[in-house]
Amino acid sequence: MKRTAVQLACLLVLCAAPAAARQLPSQPLAFDDGRVTIGGTVSATYGSDDTGFFNFTDYDRSELRMLRFDVTGAVNAGPHFAVLGELRTENFDAVRPYALYVRIHPWTSRDIDIQAGRVPPTFGAFARRTYGSDNPLIGYPLAYQYLTTMRADALPATADELLAKRGSGWLLRYSVGDNTPDRGLPLVSAFRWDTGVQAHARTANGAVSGTVAVTAGTVSNPLFNDDNGGRQVAGRLELRPTAGLIVGTSVARGAFLADAAARSASQSDGRAFAQTAWGADAEYSRGYYLLRFETIVSAWDLPIVRTPALTLPLRAASTSLEGRYKIVPGLYAAARVDHLGFSEIAGSTRTAEWDAPVTRTEVGAGYSIQRNLLVKVSWQRNRRDGGHVPNLDLGAAQVVFWF
Amino acid sequence: MTQRSQRLAPTLFVAAASLLVCEGFVPREVFVSFVPRSGTIRGRVELRRVAPPIERRPGVSDLGAPNPRDVADRLRSVVYLESAPRGAFESGQPGHAIMDQHNETFVPHVLAIMTGTTVDFPNSDNFYHNVFSLSKTAKFDLGRYAAGHSRSIVFDRPGIVRVFCEIHSHMNAFILVFSHPFFAMTDVDGRYRLDNVPPGTYNVVAWNEGTSSEPKPVTIPDGGIAEADFILR
Repeated sequence: MKRTAVQLACLLVLCAAPAAARQLPSQPLAFDDGRVTIGGTVSATYGSDDTGFFNFTDYDRSELRMLRFDVTGAVNAGPHFAVLGELRTENFDAVRPYALYVRIHPWTSRDIDIQAGRVPPTFGAFARRTYGSDNPLIGYPLAYQYLTTMRADALPATADELLAKRGSGWLLRYSVGDNTPDRGLPLVSAFRWDTGVQAHARTANGAVSGTVAVTAGTVSNPLFNDDNGGRQVAGRLELRPTAGLIVGTSVARGAFLADAAARSASQSDGRAFAQTAWGADAEYSRGYYLLRFETIVSAWDLPIVRTPALTLPLRAASTSLEGRYKIVPGLYAAARVDHLGFSEIAGSTRTAEWDAPVTRTEVGAGYSIQRNLLVKVSWQRNRRDGGHVPNLDLGAAQVVFWF
Repeated sequence: MTQRSQRLAPTLFVAAASLLVCEGFVPREVFVSFVPRSGTIRGRVELRRVAPPIERRPGVSDLGAPNPRDVADRLRSVVYLESAPRGAFESGQPGHAIMDQHNETFVPHVLAIMTGTTVDFPNSDNFYHNVFSLSKTAKFDLGRYAAGHSRSIVFDRPGIVRVFCEIHSHMNAFILVFSHPFFAMTDVDGRYRLDNVPPGTYNVVAWNEGTSSEPKPVTIPDGGIAEADFILR
């Protein structure tokens, strides 16, 4: 029933948005001489039935059938202090605080900032531009969205148990830890921000910038309340050697497995089972085209419970290449090629990747009806070496309005 | 006499006088004093409320505070004749204008030009800008280009063009394209002066940041000065 309501709402928004947008704000709302600003993004997406769960972010939510409201706000209390936040609701669910943090700018003459609270992701490039107006396509890169069979609160006892779950990250249950069926985790979560402290510095000409952060969760499982007592340390270095070129590299390492799951695995000696991630990204733009490349490698360390044992660490690697070209004013074409692969483990009867590798090709186009009203269409080809639906082609349309 | 015939009268007078002089019926020096002399409209545009600048969108996903930027000058208005005298559309040499991109601001924020004018958009910042407009008057996208580079557009249709930067959503500007030369920018105090307007009665309009005044009828005497003040918002 709820799904039907969401579908109807998406269709209504898709049809009515162009007319309604003419009456809506076209710029951020500003109060108190610009010290308080409020922006917003509404995106309505309606696409094919994703029976293979390729675009799901949990058991109920597909990125291809989504009505999302985002409200962002900034309160600038002088040159040294600001509070920023974002509220988000998806498919009429509860409103969640997606971000809420203070930004301290200690010196007005230096580009150094300290941010504390639920802060933007330090790791990688895509997680900070997930908004519909920033993403040229409708789908997300696999590393940031695709649900692997890795969970932070439960784990397989053997390699056979893990191999049996290949391609079913949207809903899985393991014998160790929390036995409740739940979704797996992506390599890097784009749907939840981590909680902690972040420091950012940039050279005066903006050519070099660096960020370090200490947070409660890990890149694949950002948390508000820590569940293992460990902290993640993440860092990012970004270079802008010439106009239009951005090259970045990121690292992150933090305690991943929940204490309860470690105890269930009889590993309560205080050892932290960590996720370690490394990423590299590049963006080049000039004239009418924009190219983005990003690769991410993640490794998870888990307890050995029984034989046949997991071959540790469990690794996953993702590579995506994205391009956008503006054809005429207001109209662009875009494409992304994306692959997600996994390390091999040996079970009783077979050796295979611990989760089913996935390849996605997405092509699409966007047309700006007005500056802040964008209509996108895309077509996805998903190929997976496992799961109950290994191959699936999907189409989707999206309307994005922002102010 | 209708408004249109009023406007036509000086033109017909000049045509008839020229004919008489050419045919030798009347000595040239006799007529010089009868040729209508153009006049001036001047006055002030008072802004009851200055339009607020477009603020940056809250940069929640930014890892640090954004760089300081300039704020666009929204005090200047444009005053123009709603309908121009006959002959005003016989354009001369195509004009040239510049709208710079400096410190994440278009400079000037408002540009008033005639059709056929080429506008250069140089980038004076050390990062990319991407000038574009989706206005019906002129749809264009200049793509991304770096500091020291410039792109140009010829504006060949009259109307209002809203200009934006794709990368910096707070950057915006207006280009008002006229098919006649009877327009003027005000100074920061709102004062303007429209010279070389042939005698007659015209509807004059003041414009500021997307808001227009009601057309105000103004009669310009032969070689004289007419005053017209406006209040906006």
